[in-house]
Amino acid sequence: MSPGDVWYLIIANPVLNVLIALSHILGGSFGLAIIVLTVIIRLITWPLTKRQLNSTKALQEMQPKIQELQKKYGKNQQKLQQEMMKLYKEAGVNPLGCLWPMLVQFPIWIALYQAIMRALATTPENLLDLAQRLYSWNVVSQAIPLNSHFLWLNLGSQGDLPLAIIVGGTMWVQQKMTQAPAVDPRQESTSRMMLLMMPLLFGFMTLMFPNGLGLYWAVSNIIGIIAQYFITGGWGYLKFRSPFKPAPAKGK
Amino acid sequence: MVTIPYLSYRMKQPKILLLVLIALLPLVLVSCIPGGASIAGGWAGTAFRDGIIYVGTRDGRVVAINSSTQSQQWDYAVNSAIYTTPIVDSDLVYVGTYSGKVLALNTLARSQNLTFPQQRYGEWEWDCPIDNAKSNAIVADLLVSNDTIYASSSNGRVYSLDKEFGDQNWASKMLDERQQKLWTSPVIHGNALYVSTLDGHIYALSVETGVSLNWSFESVAGFASSPVIYEDAIYVGSFARRLYAIEIGSNVSMWTFPQEKPAGNWFWASPMVNEGIVYAGCLDGKFYAIEAKTGEKLWEFDAGSPIVSSPVLMDNLLIVVDESGTVYVFDLSAELGDEAVPLKTISIGAAVRSLFCAQEGLVYIRGEDNQLYVVDIDKGEVSWKVSLTTKA
Repeated sequence: MSPGDVWYLIIANPVLNVLIALSHILGGSFGLAIIVLTVIIRLITWPLTKRQLNSTKALQEMQPKIQELQKKYGKNQQKLQQEMMKLYKEAGVNPLGCLWPMLVQFPIWIALYQAIMRALATTPENLLDLAQRLYSWNVVSQAIPLNSHFLWLNLGSQGDLPLAIIVGGTMWVQQKMTQAPAVDPRQESTSRMMLLMMPLLFGFMTLMFPNGLGLYWAVSNIIGIIAQYFITGGWGYLKFRSPFKPAPAKGK
Repeated sequence: MVTIPYLSYRMKQPKILLLVLIALLPLVLVSCIPGGASIAGGWAGTAFRDGIIYVGTRDGRVVAINSSTQSQQWDYAVNSAIYTTPIVDSDLVYVGTYSGKVLALNTLARSQNLTFPQQRYGEWEWDCPIDNAKSNAIVADLLVSNDTIYASSSNGRVYSLDKEFGDQNWASKMLDERQQKLWTSPVIHGNALYVSTLDGHIYALSVETGVSLNWSFESVAGFASSPVIYEDAIYVGSFARRLYAIEIGSNVSMWTFPQEKPAGNWFWASPMVNEGIVYAGCLDGKFYAIEAKTGEKLWEFDAGSPIVSSPVLMDNLLIVVDESGTVYVFDLSAELGDEAVPLKTISIGAAVRSLFCAQEGLVYIRGEDNQLYVVDIDKGEVSWKVSLTTKA
């Protein structure tokens, strides 16, 4: 069995069939099926998300201590790093732990992209290929062909600007809620760049990929915002305004 | 989706994390491409008339192959995928395209490579309106009857065109063009045109006006194949993994096959009915002979590879081709038993998804490798083959 076969057997085909079955159960709405699948995926990855959010909260609480360390060892970067790592360890915070939920979602994005394109069968070849990937469930047979329209979106098409703005916007809110204030102007510019880069990147990817995947990202972000609101207790740093002004551009 | 709360604290790490993310995201982009969207390549079948084989190619051309010289006699680029099998009527070849056109090509004008369309040769081109739909692609085979051509469009409508001039006689809306595609061919019986749809309906239309007649049939699942009619009954394959037999005028099916447990996959190819027996291939690789009146299985054969193309009858020989490119020949005059054994098995060595034709002991098959294979049934081998790529 090739790695490709394993991929389809374990991830891609289950996602495809669950999505189609959900679509039939939800009255033939493929868009609602994507939303429900997003909720299911968020529930499955909830332990990872919760750990990340708890770390975020712990980090917020650690902030006065971190600022203290910044003041104390500001001129000795090596010592500062060592002390900060020590602090993280004591608090049980893994600085790279935040990447796991994202890494876990990578295969899901790919499977979902493939599932959307296959399920909507935009070409006759897609439809014929779909036959080889469906389970023998009645709900799946009866759901074909799927309705690709949801709200104003054609889920199989790409390039929907309002959806890209929603994805980028919700991602920015989610990022801003957790991004702790910088302690110096140099850090501030890096933070500002990070805060903008990811939403812009995902907004761009929404334009490049089928709207169904954009819908997944938007719903996933909204769920993330709600989860953060309740776990970290409020809007976090969303309303925080940095005391540092952006560094002026160097003159000629 | 997650956030990255630590970045502002780890001044050395942001750049590393940034690089990781930037490196991973293109991987997603690249990984997404295989198995996702596929390009419409077309699977036009073959037609044979007066020593010439007509076929649509995977690079969007209609090609005429001279069987004597085994070479291309002419070709015409439609610059679009072609799913419809060419229909030859006297000097004209009719073909529908994925770009939503129906063309009437004159063999003489095309042999001289004249500018298309040459009206003095009876050539014309008809553009299917898109009518707010996502696509006006013509995927299903055209139907020619008397002086009319019928075409199903991906905009959900059936069109009746004048065969001589390509003028539109009428259009009949079958499906909501925002949601569905009409990828099945209509069939004529009496004064009515019958259309099966991917959303599980069979509609009857007036041949003259396109107006819906009083009868329609609804199934729990969509119909995968175009219908065929035999003695007032419609036979059609379904996404429910069953073959349906429906008496025209009735709201319930005569029978469905298999009667108990569904088949292993869809009945994608249109069945063929001959002398009271329905011959149908399934995408699970099984091929069945079924009593047309009762739905009782007479015999079956397991090809082991999906059967995408409809079978063809040549005298008393039934020819079945599976997707792996294996040609099975059954002698219908012999006793085949419950599990039929083919008289001959010939491999062309290329995948097959198109309709094929057979005449005078030869089977003309277009492979997915964009080659035309001519199989000699008597000799049990590929007699000759020719590339369908751009004419040299």
